[in-house]
Amino acid sequence: MACRVILGGLFLIAGVTKAYDPAGFATEIQNYHLVPWLGGVLLSLFLPWVEIFAGGALLLKRFEQGALLLISAMLIAYCAALISAMARGLNIDCGCFGRLISSTGIAWALVRNAGLMILTGILWIFGKASGQASSEK
Amino acid sequence: MTAVRQALWILLVALVPAFLASAFHPKRPAWSEDVLQPGEERLGTVQSWGDSVLWVDARSRKEFDTEHVPNAVLLNLEEWDQLFPAFLDRWQPNQKVVVYCSSLACHMSEEVADRLRRNSVEPVYVLKGGWEAWKSKR
Repeated sequence: MACRVILGGLFLIAGVTKAYDPAGFATEIQNYHLVPWLGGVLLSLFLPWVEIFAGGALLLKRFEQGALLLISAMLIAYCAALISAMARGLNIDCGCFGRLISSTGIAWALVRNAGLMILTGILWIFGKASGQASSEK
Repeated sequence: MTAVRQALWILLVALVPAFLASAFHPKRPAWSEDVLQPGEERLGTVQSWGDSVLWVDARSRKEFDTEHVPNAVLLNLEEWDQLFPAFLDRWQPNQKVVVYCSSLACHMSEEVADRLRRNSVEPVYVLKGGWEAWKSKR
């Protein structure tokens, strides 16, 4: 329950802060130098809403497995982007919460993402266990 | 398989507000990278103004001490009270002020530019791309 609230709540907040200022988020994406400007624009418009709906779905226990799948994919992608930025020596904000909330550096964002991945793993395992238990009844 | 189907539904639903945001969001990003935000100027334009420009470095003192635009004045939010008088000593009324910080993603230059305007310093511009833009075109 606590894992779901923390993970879902964080993704919901992260999505809302990015959706509030997609132009700012597009700039944050651009700073990673991983995708062309247009790709960053499309991501800045789409990704916040995926985070909002995935986070919301997790909180409401609707489409839970799908939400977990998307959150896992996003966390893996974010970690890859952060590690790539770190490897290239980029001194940038992580942009994890858009511009509405002060961003953190790359190292701290990686630690946080690792924690969130653990929470996701716990939810996968317990979700599957409870799914099996209910199917055995 | 259920997880994939559910994920696809979430992605599909997310497309709707994303599409609406692309058309109507007041802070939607420009489709072209070259579009300037209000108060922003490109390096080429600033260079065409010649030496009359007063450069303001909105980064930290450490970054400023490492390297900065020649003749730039250090003026950041952390040390505003100490640095602003020194800025006023250098600035001539009506002289164009161009503020820069680290890169595109840095917001300090916008905040310093806003504070300068609130202190009746005009005209003030923000350098698009910041220090990175300067360094790459030097």
